[in-house]
This record gives sequence, C-alpha cells and structure tokens, in this order.
Amino acid sequence: MNKKKWIEYALANGFDSFEIYQETGKTKTVNWYQGTTDSAVTSRVTGTALRGRISGKMLSYATEETGDEHMEQIINEMKEQAGIIGSSESGTILSPEKTDECTSSRTYTPFTNEEIRAALSDLEKSILAYDPCIVQAVHLVYEEESVERTIFNSKGLDIKDKGSVQVIGGGAVASRDGDIRNDFRHETVSSFDSFNAAAFADKLCGEVVRQLGAGPVKSTSCPVIFEKEAMTSLFAAFSDIFSGDRISRGISPLSGKEGRRIFSGLITMIDDPREDAAPFIYNYDDEGHPTCRKYVVREGVFETVLHSTESAARMNTVSSGNGFKGGCSAPVRAVPKNFFIVPGDMPLSGLMECIGNGLVITDLAGLHAGLDHVTGDFSLQCSGYKVTDGERAENVTLITVAGNYLEMMDRVLAVGNDIEWKTSPAACPSIAFKELSIGGL
Amino acid sequence: MFTRPELEKYLTRCMQSDADFAEIYEEDELTEHITALNEDIEQVSSSRQCGTGIRLYRGVQSVYGYTNDTDDASLTALIEDLKGAISDNEAGSCPAASDVTLTRVEYENNNPVRIDFEKTPLSEKASLLKRAAKAALQYDPRIEKVQSGLLNVRQDVQISNSEGRLVSDSRVRTRIMVEAFAREGDNLQSGGDRPGAGMGLEFYEQTTPESAGREAARTALVNLSAKDCPSGKMPVIIDNGFGGVIFHEACGHALEATSVAKDQSVFCNKLGTKIAADCVSAVDDGTIPNAWGSQNIDDEGNFQKRRVLIKNGILTSYMVDRLNGRRMGVPSTSSGRRESYRFEPTSRMSNTFILAGNDSFEDLFEGIERGLYAKKMGGGSVNPQTGEFNFSVSEGYMIENGKITYPVKGVSLIGSGSEILMNIDRVCSNLERSQGMCGSSSGSIPTDVGQPAIRVSQITVGGTANE
Repeated sequence: MNKKKWIEYALANGFDSFEIYQETGKTKTVNWYQGTTDSAVTSRVTGTALRGRISGKMLSYATEETGDEHMEQIINEMKEQAGIIGSSESGTILSPEKTDECTSSRTYTPFTNEEIRAALSDLEKSILAYDPCIVQAVHLVYEEESVERTIFNSKGLDIKDKGSVQVIGGGAVASRDGDIRNDFRHETVSSFDSFNAAAFADKLCGEVVRQLGAGPVKSTSCPVIFEKEAMTSLFAAFSDIFSGDRISRGISPLSGKEGRRIFSGLITMIDDPREDAAPFIYNYDDEGHPTCRKYVVREGVFETVLHSTESAARMNTVSSGNGFKGGCSAPVRAVPKNFFIVPGDMPLSGLMECIGNGLVITDLAGLHAGLDHVTGDFSLQCSGYKVTDGERAENVTLITVAGNYLEMMDRVLAVGNDIEWKTSPAACPSIAFKELSIGGL
Repeated sequence: MFTRPELEKYLTRCMQSDADFAEIYEEDELTEHITALNEDIEQVSSSRQCGTGIRLYRGVQSVYGYTNDTDDASLTALIEDLKGAISDNEAGSCPAASDVTLTRVEYENNNPVRIDFEKTPLSEKASLLKRAAKAALQYDPRIEKVQSGLLNVRQDVQISNSEGRLVSDSRVRTRIMVEAFAREGDNLQSGGDRPGAGMGLEFYEQTTPESAGREAARTALVNLSAKDCPSGKMPVIIDNGFGGVIFHEACGHALEATSVAKDQSVFCNKLGTKIAADCVSAVDDGTIPNAWGSQNIDDEGNFQKRRVLIKNGILTSYMVDRLNGRRMGVPSTSSGRRESYRFEPTSRMSNTFILAGNDSFEDLFEGIERGLYAKKMGGGSVNPQTGEFNFSVSEGYMIENGKITYPVKGVSLIGSGSEILMNIDRVCSNLERSQGMCGSSSGSIPTDVGQPAIRVSQITVGGTANE
C-alpha cells in the first residue's frame, strides 16, 4: 500500500483530512492434552482501517485488501457515507503532538518448541500430581502474541507503537463423591527459565480442591468481600460507565456527575495506558493522541471523563487519549486502558477480620449479560467461601450476588493491598463492602 | 478465492508430510454497520475481511495456520511451517502422498436472498433505522432517546480438502438492533429488541423496523416501574423465543463435542439415557431456510443437517465436528463452525430449540403460589464440565397465586443444567425462535435460540429485594 498515494488521492477528492491505521498481529498457540501436543495455531494478519473527514463528517472503512488497485473504489465508497451521516459531532484527524515515549520494562524471550512441550508437560504432571482428587488437567496452553500499530495521516502524524506478551494457561478438574469442580488460570511468562510449573499448579489446584463439596447458602444480605480477581472482572465490566461515549449521550449512570462525589472516599481509580505493571503499554491511543496517567475517581470524587476525539467534541472538551478500537476494523470508542483501583494497605485476612461474618466472592460468571450499564444494577452467578468470626469457613457455590454498582462502591468498608496485573488492561485489589444481596436456597 | 488447480497444488503440498488430512478454508467477508441516535445517522462503517486458514490433521492432532497475506510465497511458507509442526509432534515416517484432485460440489441454495444489501442505496438502509427510532419515540413521551444499529453481512467461503471436496457458500444476514431509553424523573431504564435473519433486506418486509422500535420502547417502560426482585428458589415460567437461551446454555453447550470428546461435559456417556423430563424434545437444525443460524454447508464443507438432540427426554445425539468425531469414533454431524478464517472450527450450535408441547400458556401459571415469569431473557453462560449455568432476565414479573402481579428488575437465574432439564414440567405450544450471537473457542457466530413457553418447577433466582 502506497500510503502517500492514498492520502493524496483522498485529499484531491474532497476529504479535508485522511488517516491510515494499520495493525499487524502475529500469534503462536500450542495446546497440550494427555501427554502430547493437541493442536497448534500460527498466524500473521495485517488489517488496515481508513478514516477521513468531509464537511465535518468522519467516514470510515476497514479492509484487508489494500492493494493500490482498490484505492479508487474504497475512497469513493467512503464518500458515499457523507450523504447520510447527520449533524452530530464527529472525531478529528490529529496533528502530531510531542510526547516522551516510554518502553515497557517487561521483556519476553519466546520459548523454543522443545521448551513449550517441556513447560506444558511439566505443568500437566504437576496438576495431576497435586492431589488424588484432581482427575484431569485441561486447557493447557502456551500463547505468544505481538502487535504493531502504525498511524499515518494527512496532518503529518506518523507513529508506531508495539507490544508483545507470552502467556501460559492451564485448568484442573477435581472430583469427589460425584461433585465436580474446575478452574482455569493463566499468567504471563517472560522466559522458559522463569516458569515454575509446580507453583502454578499449587495456585490452581489449591482452590479447585477446596471448592469440592461447596454448595449454596440461604438467601440473605450480608457483608461481602470481592477477592481481587472477582473485583477486577466486575470493575472491568462496568468500566464503560466512565466513557465519554455513554456520558455524552446521557446513558451512563454517571452522566452529569463530573466533579461530584460518587463513591466512598476510600476509592481512587486511575487510568494509565503507560502503566508499566500492565501487560501492554500504549504511548498513543488508536487516534494517535499521546496517552497519559489520570485520576478518574480521586477519593470518591469523579474527576475525569474518558474521551476520544469524538466524545470530547460532543462535550466540548479535548480527548484524554482514550480513543481505542476493539480490533482493527472496529470503530474508535472512548475506553479506559490500564485502568485500576489504587490499593489500600490491608491484606485479605485483614478484610476478613473487618467484616467478621459474611462472604468472600472468588469467582463471577455471566458478566456479559448480568449487568445493566444504564442503571448500574447487577445480578451475577458467583462462588467463594463464608467468613465466620473473621476466618475462612465453608465454601459456597451456585449462588447469586446482586446490587447496584454505584451504591456498592459508596459502601466500602476497606480496600485491600493485593492488586495484581494479569493479562487484562484492568486490575483491582480485594475490596470489602458493607452489604449485598445473596441469592441461594 | 483460489482456483481449483491452485488449491490442488497447495493441498498436495500439505499432504507431502505426516498429515493424514488437509483442509483449506478461504473467506471473503463484507460487513456493513450503520448506527443512529434517534433519527440522526451517526456512523457508517464498512469492513472487508479476506483470508485463508489451513489445517492439517495427524490422527487427533491438528495444526492450523491463518493469514491474509495470500500470495504464493506467503502461503507456501505457511504450509511449510504447518508441515514442520505436524511432523514435529512425534517421530514418524512421511507417507507417500498422491496428488489431490478436487471435485466441486454443487447444490441448491437453501438461503436465497431477494434484496441484496450491497445493491441497496445507503439512504434506504439508513431509513430503516429512522423508522425504528420514530416508532419508539412516538410510543410514549417518556421515551427519551433511541440508539439503533443495522448490521448487514455477506460471508463468502470456499472450503477444499484432501479428500477431494471443493464447496462454496455465500451467507448473507441482516439484523436491526434497537435500544430505547425511558425516563421518569431520575429513573432511566432501557429496553431492546434485536431481530435478524439469514436473508437480505426483504426481512424488513415481514419484521418491520417499527415493530422493533415499539418492542424496545415497551420493554423500557416496563422496567421504569419494575421493583427489586426477591432471591431464592422458586418456580419459573420462561417465555418463548429468546427464553430458549436456557436450553442453549443449560444443555446445548454441554452437548457439543468440544466438551464431550475430552470428557469435559456433564452429558458424557449419556447417549440413549434420560437427561430431561419426558415433555422435552429438542433439535439443532441448520437447515431452516433463511434462519439466522442456518448455512448451506458447515465450516468444514459438509451439508448442514437437522439434529435431534433429545427425544421425549432421551439424549439422542451430540453435535460433532470432524476432529472431535475422530476422537469420539463417530462421524461429523455437520456441526463444525467458526467465526472466520482466524479461528479453527469446532462443534457449535446452529438453530437450537425445544419443540412445541401441548400445554396452553394459561396452564403454566396453575398452582404457582409465588414464582417468576421471565418474559424476556438476556444472555447467559455455562460451565460445561459442571453444568452450572446462569442467564439474566431483561423483563420479568412476579407471579403470586397464579397471577402476574408486578414487574421486577436486576434478576438472574442460575442452576445446574442436568437438574433444570429434569425439572421442566410444562411445555406450551407457542414455539418461537430468536436471534443471538454465541461465543466459544471458534469465535462469535450467529445462532438462533428458541422454545415454546416452559415452566421449570424450581430455579435459583438472584435479585436484590431484602425480605
């Protein structure tokens, strides 16, 4: 693709600005099952997304066929869109802006094929040897992924950002007296030498075996601790309530609440695409805007709405560098990237002492459907364990936890110190809440 | 798409290895998505995805590679990588491979398209959204705003394999998605409707944008007056259409060979045994003309089928793809599906639903002192190994003494699939299907869920009311 030629053609045909975004991803995945390689997947894919403005309207097209012979047809198809798009505010093609780029301190040494087999074989054996109750080691996988993004536009922007990650994952199935429990975990691995299969298996299997014999509790309302991984998944699922896309349209429960206290003073939330502890760092968002660290909520006060250029235009402000795509062909949306709740200083055991009697939730299911992003209401399947007199007691499963996210975050008892970044761009410590509804027997 | 001689050349090259089977999946997909806020068109995005996936088997091992760099050198390099990987697994001698000769399979298109979205002016497509928004906004003054989207997809695929099969399919689908927001003071609630089909824009002659807009508005208004729902176990009536997500989650996923072949399903080794109440019969049917989850061929090149999964409570079939069929020692049931060339196929559902029974809708409410009527469902998920599932209720009502009393909000239903299927005690005659997107290891694919209204004697209901 001759990018200059495409841009010149677009400008000569009515566009006042034009952008070419390209993303090249390479992956390698090896799945292991019962002592041998089960399947292997390798890929190399490049996608191209075009955006351009005519008369204040942003027009877009994504394609995997970028030969110059397609240029005329694609740009003419984009022009047709201008005829139907209405009068609402649109995004901007950005001029270059000076920023000090940073690099991740994480480094990855790809495993050789022999090392992949050795690591997965070792992991399988460690899982199966953990306890006689463990009957299967499943979903054993090694994955490496690298992504390079480039943005080139008619205003002189010409940037490149790249990142890579390596992950090992595995699952265990435990069975006793007809009760079956399973779990899966994954972690980033910098090199073969740094991977400890026995430690991975201990963390995975310990919880699976403990869950055997778990059952529901009676429906009640009680203090609840969301353990760090469950808290992270709920926090990530509700993160779009801070998006300028929803707030500018008046369909977030936080619309009109900027500058006001929305949560407990114990809650501080930061969005930082350059956070070094996160698996990927981003110097630029997908519009080429430099990213930065920002308080979204500081001690309970809603400070920053997350913006792309489009949502910023709707609210008559500027982008916060949060215009990201959910894939090369997806439109730019205002979303958090490397979003986290600032940890407190209390360990999980301290949180349990704090609530005295209640419930610790370790796992949530149904997050894609059981949330209402307009009201903040949620009702989710969960499992975990009871807390009696500040100590871990019986395990529980097949129960629901329900409440309203805003009310819950306003009724915080204490924030834990155990934040851990895994493979997602969000992280939280464990947090104790005064009361939530539990559905069970 | 490659020509037949090119495919024969690549497949022959694939088979000059330890592989005992090779397959090439080619895809050219055009997606068009138009979005609107009220009657104002906000965005039009078009995307074109063109790539190739190549898969080799050796026994029950597979290697898969995909790329959208499909010049001869790149594809040859990918094939050599895959050949190395399939031979790398275990020591083995390379069998002498004969040249692959392909025969194109022709068939009658079961999913014809009358109004091609690619030939329809953008303004006509945009007007569908404007009509939906107008109908929703006019439904009630409390409807404050309407967000909508129109999705049109054409997915052309060509599948060839070392057994000599060469077959193509063109899948066209359309869907209108409407979400209405109703306000009363500070109380803002939403409601949605998302009908679609595997056809062209003629779909909107039978299911009008206005009907989708009004349905979204009606649901949002119901939620304005909804109260908190009590928690606990109670009888639940699940209405027809998208209510079928209960079967999809509670049973369907656990009948996919993806789980069954590796002993990771609660329904392993249960063929021929009773897994549901006598009143339950269920099918997965990929042949329904122009249905949302239909295809002429699955993504492994086999003609789609109607699969009877459960007959009068007895498990009669799993859903099996080619590779898992090898593991299980059974043939494929034409259930190999994938989102795109970026995914290796595995066993998936198509249009899955419980068949109509004999009860009237009124019969379902008989004898319920306190229960839930789940009129509209949201999505759900399942753990196939334990059978534990969950799904959300997007429009629900309390039942007291056999009567619907008041709407409730923030409700989920959870349970164990094997128990729920046995606890279905009434099946109505009003079978209906609805459209959804199903996510699994081979990506997100269109599937219909469906059922008549059913009654389950007991499910755990998760709500927020303190009692």
